[in-house]
Amino acid sequence: MRANVKGRAFAAEVDPRAKPGAPAAVAPAAAAPDGLEEGMNVAGVDCGAKSAKVLILRDGEVLARSAVLSGFDPKAAAAQALDEALIQAGLSRSDLAHVTATGTGKNEVDFASSSITEVGADARAANALFPAARTVIDIGAEEGRAIRISPQGKVIDFAINEKCAAGAGTFTETMARTLEVAVEDMGPLSLKSQNAVPMNAQCAVFAESEVVSLIHAKHSKEDIARAVHDAIADRIASMARKIGIEKDIVLVGGVAKNVGFVTSLKRNLKEELFIPPYPEYSCALGAALTAAERAKGV
Amino acid sequence: MMDSFKEWYEGRHQYAREWKKRTGKKVLGYFCTYVPEEILIAADVLPVRILGSHEPQDVTEPHIFGMFCPFCRDCLAQGLQGRYEYLDGIMISQSCLHIRQAYTSWKLHVPVEFSYYLPMPHHLQSRRALPYLTGELEAFKKAVEEWTGTTITEEGLNRGIEVMNRSRRLTRALYELRRRPDPPVTGLESMRVVAASQMVDKREYNEALQETIDRLPERAGRDGSRVRLMMLGSENDDVAFVGMVESLGAIFVIDDHCTGSRYFWNEVLTDRKPMESIAARYVDRVPCPTKDWPERKRIEHIRQLAKDWNVQGAIVVQQKFCDPHEIDIPAIIKALKQDGVPAQVLEIDVTVPVGQFKTRIEAFLEILKQEDLF
Repeated sequence: MRANVKGRAFAAEVDPRAKPGAPAAVAPAAAAPDGLEEGMNVAGVDCGAKSAKVLILRDGEVLARSAVLSGFDPKAAAAQALDEALIQAGLSRSDLAHVTATGTGKNEVDFASSSITEVGADARAANALFPAARTVIDIGAEEGRAIRISPQGKVIDFAINEKCAAGAGTFTETMARTLEVAVEDMGPLSLKSQNAVPMNAQCAVFAESEVVSLIHAKHSKEDIARAVHDAIADRIASMARKIGIEKDIVLVGGVAKNVGFVTSLKRNLKEELFIPPYPEYSCALGAALTAAERAKGV
Repeated sequence: MMDSFKEWYEGRHQYAREWKKRTGKKVLGYFCTYVPEEILIAADVLPVRILGSHEPQDVTEPHIFGMFCPFCRDCLAQGLQGRYEYLDGIMISQSCLHIRQAYTSWKLHVPVEFSYYLPMPHHLQSRRALPYLTGELEAFKKAVEEWTGTTITEEGLNRGIEVMNRSRRLTRALYELRRRPDPPVTGLESMRVVAASQMVDKREYNEALQETIDRLPERAGRDGSRVRLMMLGSENDDVAFVGMVESLGAIFVIDDHCTGSRYFWNEVLTDRKPMESIAARYVDRVPCPTKDWPERKRIEHIRQLAKDWNVQGAIVVQQKFCDPHEIDIPAIIKALKQDGVPAQVLEIDVTVPVGQFKTRIEAFLEILKQEDLF
């Protein structure tokens, strides 16, 4: 069944810190049941606020991933991301049995056969990656979400950040600019912090002036970087507490790649966080898994 | 079939101006649904509810605190911008501090010939509330008589009661039709009907609604596969929001808010003297949370509505900074959850962030649909 698969095995993507036995459940969940067509290709398209991500699956294994900045034309970005992923996979659009779109711009994706909400896609992906997952935290550029899921990957409850950037990735970018450091350096920088400095991140604009005050008060860049991550972690943690946190907790979305934020969130929740290797593709994976199910008519 | 209500809702000011020209009578703007319209109708005054326009504005900042609700600011903005220039009078019944601030600022900055503050009691669960309100209504009647130069007779009050009760009965009949598995009207249409009823002459409204209700059964029902929702909140005439939700495969079938069922649900029972009957109606009606204390009577009412209208999910539309409503939310959610009705809370402002809310509503509907499957 797994012949001619050149992509990475999906199971191999599971975080090595995952509990023993957990990854094994992944492949069967996504693989084609017996008697169904083999070698079926599907794609998940996550048309997000900042970038469009595409993930192509064949029988539960990832063939390709691609991301393109959304800019002013999310539709074109999604199409470009798809075409790039198809080139990687050595396929053409007609080889795709089903395409499922998700993300803020999901309705823009005119080449998709169906769509699923971001919350649903997150739940689907987390359940496949970490079957013991009960809480999913997804932090993207403009949106932070906390989702409580059942053992079957069904959404029980969810919360999404209000009209405020303080619980999302853009916030770190703004603060990095104020500190004059590259955004990718923010995480490692904050790990060197010696002191916790309280910062009240209610709003990205006010937080920026607060960062300026901290600079004037001669706090180190390291401490301020940590303060920024602590502030986002506080927002996300209180949102997650609103829906009730249950173990295991899975963290996905682009911000999961920021070690500074991950450390702050762990410190706050006092729980282990499970992060897949490509956290920013989690929604696209959830959409692709949904596409596979729909293609089979499950 | 529903067009006249939409026209009234969208052309509220034009209607009032024309009504005034046509009748030569006075128009009064009111700020809260605890205002006894029966007495105004008895004096041939047209009561119109002052509502916001759901547009950003920049004129209320000097008059209303930043942490007061967006609705009271939106209402005041209408006055300051001169959109209600045809009003001869304004009034409020005491409900909450925020909307009272809109009233007092309006009175100060947009002078009208008549203004009245009706001290509607808060502690309606006290047996002294009824005699107190009856006395206050008598005083209000005198003030209206002096203003209009007319005498409000018992017969006039009975006429006011009759007009209002007919309007309430008809609007409830419209809501009854929404119990059907395939409701013949959408939540958006119903919302415009109720809002229009707060803006136009009730007699005209009653005729139009009677005709609509007679014809509605022959109208094709909305698709029965839509998710049946309930809307809970304070003042919710946000048609953009309702339209968005209903475009996602859902339908609002019932509500509890004051631009909805809470406005018309209870009739005046004519078992005592007219003024006391009117007072009893406002004491006993489905309460606003500002007056729903110490027992929370509204929650049992909401549960019953959810059951009778076969609701699958509830959307709690929370006006930002509206504390009386926000305090009730945990209790409402808990009660509905016990009955198997999940709820989603959304905090609204003057304008609705349609994109962000859409994400949440879609996910909420997805949960409701998956509940059917499992």
